[in-house]
Amino acid sequence: MIHVEELSVSYGAVKALRNVTFSAPTGRITAVLGSNGAGKTTLLRTISGLVKPSSGTIHCDKTALVGMATEDIARFGLGHVPEGRGVIAEFTIEENLRLGVLASQVSAAEGLERQFELFPVLGERRKQYASTLSGGERQMLAMARALIGRPSFLLLDEPSLGLAPLVTAEMMRTISSLCLSENLTVILVEQNAKSALRIAHDAVVLHLGSVIASGTAESVASDSDLRRYYLGLVQ
Amino acid sequence: MGSFLSSRIITVLLGGISSGVVIALVALSLVIIWKSTHVLNFAQGAMGMLAAFVGMNLVFKGVNYWLCLVISLAMGLVVGGITERVLIRPLYGKPEINPIVVMVGFLGVIEAAIPSIWKSNFNAVPAPFSQIYYQSHGHTILVSPFVIYQVALALGVMGAVALLFQYTDLGLQMRAAALAPEVSRLLGVRVNRLLTLGWILSSGVGALAAVIVSSGQSLAPTNMDGIFVSAFIAAAVGGLESPLGAITGGLLIGITESFILNYWSTNMAPLAGVIVLVISLAIRPQGIFTRNVTRRV
Amino acid sequence: MKKLATLRSSMPTSARLLFTLLLTIVALGITFSLTALDDSKLAGGAAIAIVIVGLSWLIGWSGQVSLGNSGFMAIGAYATAIWANHHATTPVVFTLLLATICGAAGGLVLALPSTRLRGPYLAGMTLAFSFAITPLALNFPSVTGGSGGLFLNFLSAPKWFANLFSGSQALIRANAQWSADVAIVVAAVAFFFMANLFHSRTGRAMRLIRDNDVAAELTGVNLQRTRTLAFVISAAYAGLGGSLLTLLTGSVSPQTYSLPLSILLLTLMVLGGIGTLSGAVLGGLIYSYSDNLVSLINKVTGISSASTFGANLKGIVFGVLLILTMLLAPRGLVGMGGRLLSLVKRRSAES
Repeated sequence: MIHVEELSVSYGAVKALRNVTFSAPTGRITAVLGSNGAGKTTLLRTISGLVKPSSGTIHCDKTALVGMATEDIARFGLGHVPEGRGVIAEFTIEENLRLGVLASQVSAAEGLERQFELFPVLGERRKQYASTLSGGERQMLAMARALIGRPSFLLLDEPSLGLAPLVTAEMMRTISSLCLSENLTVILVEQNAKSALRIAHDAVVLHLGSVIASGTAESVASDSDLRRYYLGLVQ
Repeated sequence: MGSFLSSRIITVLLGGISSGVVIALVALSLVIIWKSTHVLNFAQGAMGMLAAFVGMNLVFKGVNYWLCLVISLAMGLVVGGITERVLIRPLYGKPEINPIVVMVGFLGVIEAAIPSIWKSNFNAVPAPFSQIYYQSHGHTILVSPFVIYQVALALGVMGAVALLFQYTDLGLQMRAAALAPEVSRLLGVRVNRLLTLGWILSSGVGALAAVIVSSGQSLAPTNMDGIFVSAFIAAAVGGLESPLGAITGGLLIGITESFILNYWSTNMAPLAGVIVLVISLAIRPQGIFTRNVTRRV
Repeated sequence: MKKLATLRSSMPTSARLLFTLLLTIVALGITFSLTALDDSKLAGGAAIAIVIVGLSWLIGWSGQVSLGNSGFMAIGAYATAIWANHHATTPVVFTLLLATICGAAGGLVLALPSTRLRGPYLAGMTLAFSFAITPLALNFPSVTGGSGGLFLNFLSAPKWFANLFSGSQALIRANAQWSADVAIVVAAVAFFFMANLFHSRTGRAMRLIRDNDVAAELTGVNLQRTRTLAFVISAAYAGLGGSLLTLLTGSVSPQTYSLPLSILLLTLMVLGGIGTLSGAVLGGLIYSYSDNLVSLINKVTGISSASTFGANLKGIVFGVLLILTMLLAPRGLVGMGGRLLSLVKRRSAES
């Protein structure tokens, strides 16, 4: 379980997050929704230690993350697929994946084999440069790279960004089944509320850095005010 | 064969290659630092000389040449690590001029400190191999066992660096840390340590280059000055990002220099770098080995 | 907000002119009370300050790094010496102008291939240039006098000025003070031009480029032309400074204008404060009195200047100062002064 308590983040005079509190239970997908600038990416970056909070705490199960270095948080077992995927285009697919496995307990051979099983497309093209991949394939590579070290927690930042609807749907299905099979705690940041709510168990809605609603995905999805004003979903 | 190898043009070419490999080696060390920390190390030559002074001075106390070489290398590694931690680390994220200025200052300190510490008697370091040129059918070929040793050591170091970066996990992590530091950190790569390691490695390479240059001639703090300038230009010619480009640039400058020395004038040899740079800029302004990349804003 | 404030012109041109005149008169007044030695030190400092302000303009305001300004100084210096040896009666103003133009021309030739390049490449190009100057001078002894260099008549006081002095060594004192006064006036003119340049359209364009060249280009700034201009102006100032230095010392030698001088210029600029006029003045003063500083250190620490360590002390001191300034107070003495001033202001406002 990831538990965020009273988390505040400021960039100079701008408050990016204000007293954000929520829990992402183990084995479930928690969608973090909201419009551009709501603070979603900042929230993930703060959990990963890339941004220092001005106050508040973050716990992964019993471990307090605030104050830990990003590298150590990653080694502790938290995978983070950043906005824009962060695939290293100058590396081959295999090199990208090897990079992901080096800091973990998993052996490279074992990890690679597992990910190529999960994502056969990557296995077929393992020696190709990542720059040759399509957007959807890059997203798969980024997820495979985050998963190869067998993390218990997974942060996904806008995985559907720039993907065609069909590819997005497949991506969401993959996330859903991974969460189930690996017993992962997933925080899924999405602007595309519709497809995120389809697979999420729980949802948190951020607006201008504050949590304005949270609960089960169904309850958020059925709140017509939320749908209209904050999630951009029109019936 | 003998007359061919001793013909003037081949002699000039061989001379160019043997000085070019050292330039290439220093250029490679500059690229390693540039790629990992985006710092232009103006003190690279001087740092190498400092390490060579510590190690090679022991030759005069009767210590074996090879042991001195190893000590110089070790010193190079240490100097590189300390420099990154003390002088460079506080400047990450500052304007690009700041580390340049600091390293220029360090260059000044080293070049003034070396003669203060070792006084001014710069003895000649004996060459570990014969410096007598090979003969072939009565013709002199301007290659000696010592020249072969210099070239072989330089090429060997380049090869080792290439293997490290291309085929080891550490090399993979170092390349990743340079290309995408934030993503690397998210994957658990200890980027800060790798940046230090980049400096350690580069400084070690620089120290070996200084040993190669100073073997068989007098040990002076300015031994690396001309080579550093040439190496700097070689790295720029190659686009600063490309190890292969830096090595090619180094060889080009070495050969050009040799041609100027033999066909024009000894005084004009330092112009070799300028000539190669201007020509390469005219052909490919972005550096001969750089792909066209859009610059991030 | 701070950035916007610096973009606005702080003073109208007439006020700047008045300010410059006032400072010049004060400086000229001071030369009357100095010894001949101090006067000649000051003259050298003024010449170096001109070069520093040119470098400061380039590095601090356009964000380009040049290690070649010693080379442009050499161009100015040799142009001065060669011209003076053929046309001894030329007025000083004309010689200085000629050397400035020669420096600018040299800058233009080097700028054409290099300003397309960004920082590191430009630094490499200028480094190569600065390294090639000495060999070039040595290779054409018929023009440059080879390793011996060239000699010319140094600046000497006109009769009416010399008549102001009496007693022993009157002529020496007159000449020293005359050269200091000429140097100060030349520097004042150069600084006045630079102050206006800082606030001109070109100056603003340069600052935009330094902060974000892509954005600057989008707002209609011609990148290449502005960068080239910045480089050429910096080279012109180096030419002027080199020329003045040559007129003061009466000689040029190829070894003077090598890489160490470029490094020294960079050091002085950083110590004074990058990108400020007052920083350049301070840099020039530090140059004038650096030997005094070193002998003071000699005295305090007891290191003999005859020992090898003592002989290299200057290099070590300057190197260490450069590093410490960059690490601890990257805006130099001017920045430190400014911080101190605001601290005092805050204190007095609180009490």
